Amino acid sequence: MIEANDVALTYSDGTKALKNVNLKIGPGELVYITGHSGSGKTSLLKLLMGIEFPSSGKLTVLGQRMKKGNDRKLRKLRRKIGPVFQEFKLIERRTALENVMIGMRILGIPPRKMKQEAMEALKKVGLEHKLHTPVEHLSWGEAQRVAIARAVVRKPALLIADEPTGNLDHNNALNILHILNSFRDEKTAVIITTHATHLIEGQDATYIRVQEGEITIEQRRVAG
Amino acid sequence: MKVFFYNLGYFILEAFRTIRFHPLSNLFSFLGTGFILFLFGLVLTGWAVGDELVGALEQEAQVSAYFADQVGEAGAKQIITKMKTLDGVWEARYVTAGEAYAKNRELLGNEAEILRLFDNNPFEAFVEIKIDLNKMDQVLSQISSMKGIEYVRDNRDILEKLKGIVDAIKLLGGVIAAAVGITTLVIISHMIRQGIYHNKEQINTLRLLGAPNSFIAFPFVMAGLLLTLLGGGLAAALIIVMMNQGYQSIGEYIMFLPLPPAQELCRFIVAIILGISAALGLVGSLFGVSSIQKEG
Ligand SMILES: Nc1ncnc2c1ncn2[C@@H]1O[C@H](COP(=O)(O)OP(=O)(O)OP(=O)(O)O)[C@@H](O)[C@H]1O
Ligand SMILES: [Mg+2]
Repeated sequence: MIEANDVALTYSDGTKALKNVNLKIGPGELVYITGHSGSGKTSLLKLLMGIEFPSSGKLTVLGQRMKKGNDRKLRKLRRKIGPVFQEFKLIERRTALENVMIGMRILGIPPRKMKQEAMEALKKVGLEHKLHTPVEHLSWGEAQRVAIARAVVRKPALLIADEPTGNLDHNNALNILHILNSFRDEKTAVIITTHATHLIEGQDATYIRVQEGEITIEQRRVAG
Repeated sequence: MKVFFYNLGYFILEAFRTIRFHPLSNLFSFLGTGFILFLFGLVLTGWAVGDELVGALEQEAQVSAYFADQVGEAGAKQIITKMKTLDGVWEARYVTAGEAYAKNRELLGNEAEILRLFDNNPFEAFVEIKIDLNKMDQVLSQISSMKGIEYVRDNRDILEKLKGIVDAIKLLGGVIAAAVGITTLVIISHMIRQGIYHNKEQINTLRLLGAPNSFIAFPFVMAGLLLTLLGGGLAAALIIVMMNQGYQSIGEYIMFLPLPPAQELCRFIVAIILGISAALGLVGSLFGVSSIQKEG
C-alpha cells in the first residue's frame, strides 16, 4: 500500500523534516508512529496524503506515485484515505453530524445511507447526544472524536490519524484507539501517531519511531 | 453526477449560507444588479418602441410623383404600369385630380372654404407610390428620371431623422447592455470571490478530503446565480410596474406614437431580463470560482 524509498522532505524554508525514509506498509497493517514533538511525524503523514511531496526519493501510496502536479489523481487518492488531522479541521458553524457527513458527500453516498452511517459513527465515538451541536460548541475532546468519526465513516483503504488521543482522558483514548484498530482489516491499513506510548505497548503492530526526521522501525509483527 | 444529485440539498443550503454570511453586502449586490438590469429593461423598452415606430413609418413610406404637363391620363397609366415593375416599389396608385381635390378638402376641414376661391380645380392628378425605404435612393432616382415624371416629393428628411434617432437608441442600448453585462459580472464575481476568501479553511478541508473543484465551486455558483436571478426578478418587477403605470400615459400623451402592445412587450422584456440575469449570474460566478483553482 505504501512504499517509500530514500524519501526526504525539506520545507521551503530549508527545514529538513524527513531524511532517508525507507518504509513498506501493507494492507491490514497497524502502524504506530511515535517521536518527540517536532521530530517529523506530521510531516510523514502529510507526505502520505499528498499535502507535501518528497523533495527526493520515491514514494508510492495506494499505487499512486506521489509527486506534484497530477491533481486529479491526487483527489482520487485522497478519497480513499480517512484522515484525522492533528488540528481536526472541522468545518465551523456546522453540526457534528454535518461534519461527519461532509466527508461522505464527496464519495457520492446516497443521502439516507449517509445520514444513518454518520449517526452510527458518532454513536461509536460516544457522541450520539451531540449530533446537532455546532462543532465550535464542542469540547476539545468531543471535537476530536467528531474528526475521528468523519474519517472512519468513509471506510477508507488507509486510515491516517495524527494524534487522535492527544486530548482525551485515559478511557476515551483507549476507546478511540480501539475504534481505529477495529478498522484494520485485510484491506485497510491504519496509521496512528501518538505520544501516548503507554497505551499502545505490546500490540500486534508496527512501531515506527521518528527522531529528528529519521525513522527507525522498532518492532514489527505483521498481522496474519 | 451521482455526487451532484445526492448532494443537491446540501449545495442549496450552502448557497444560502454563503449569501447569508454577508447579508449587507449581498443585499447591495442584489439591489445593484436589480437596478442595473432595470436600466437595461428601460433601454430595451425604448428600443422596442423605436423599432415599432420605424417599422410603422417604413410601412407608410410614401412618395408622390407628379406628371409633366403634356402627359394625359392614358400616358400616366402607362407610366404607372412601368413604375410597378421597378424593384423597391411596393405599390403605385393613380390619384385623379378630383380625388386630390376631395382629399385636400378633407384635410383642410373648416378651412376648405378657401377652395371656393378657385374657379378650376387647383390640384393635379399624381401617382402615390409606396416604396421600400431600404431602397429609397435607388427607387427615387429611377422614378424621377422616368419620362413624363416632372417632380417627385418624398418625406426623406423626416424618415432620415427618425432613423437617426432609432440608430442612436440602438447604440445607446448596446453601450448600456455592455455596461450592464460588465457591471453585473464584476459584482457577482467579486461577491463569489469574497465568499471563497472567507471560506478558505473550509475549502481547504474539503480538498484534503478529496473533493473535486466542481464540488467546492457548485454552492458558490449557485449563490451567484441565485443573487443575479433575484436582481433580475427585482428589475422585472419594476419593469412590470412601470409598464402598467407609465406606458399608457405615454400612449395618451403622444397619441401618434404607434406603441407596441404593452402586454406582449412586457412579457418579452421580462423574459429577456431574466434570461440575461441567469446568463450573467452563471458567467460571473464561474469567473469568481476560477479563483478556487488558483489556490493549489
Ligand atoms: N510548513 C512547514 N514549513 C517549515 N517547517 C515546517 C513546516 N511544517 C513543519 N515544519 C517543521 O518540520 C519539523 C517537523 O514537524 P512536524 O509537524 O512533522 O512534527 P511532529 O513530529 O508532528 O510534532 P508534534 O508532535 O508536535 O506534532 C518541525 O521542526 C517543524 O517546525
Ligand atoms: Mg504533529
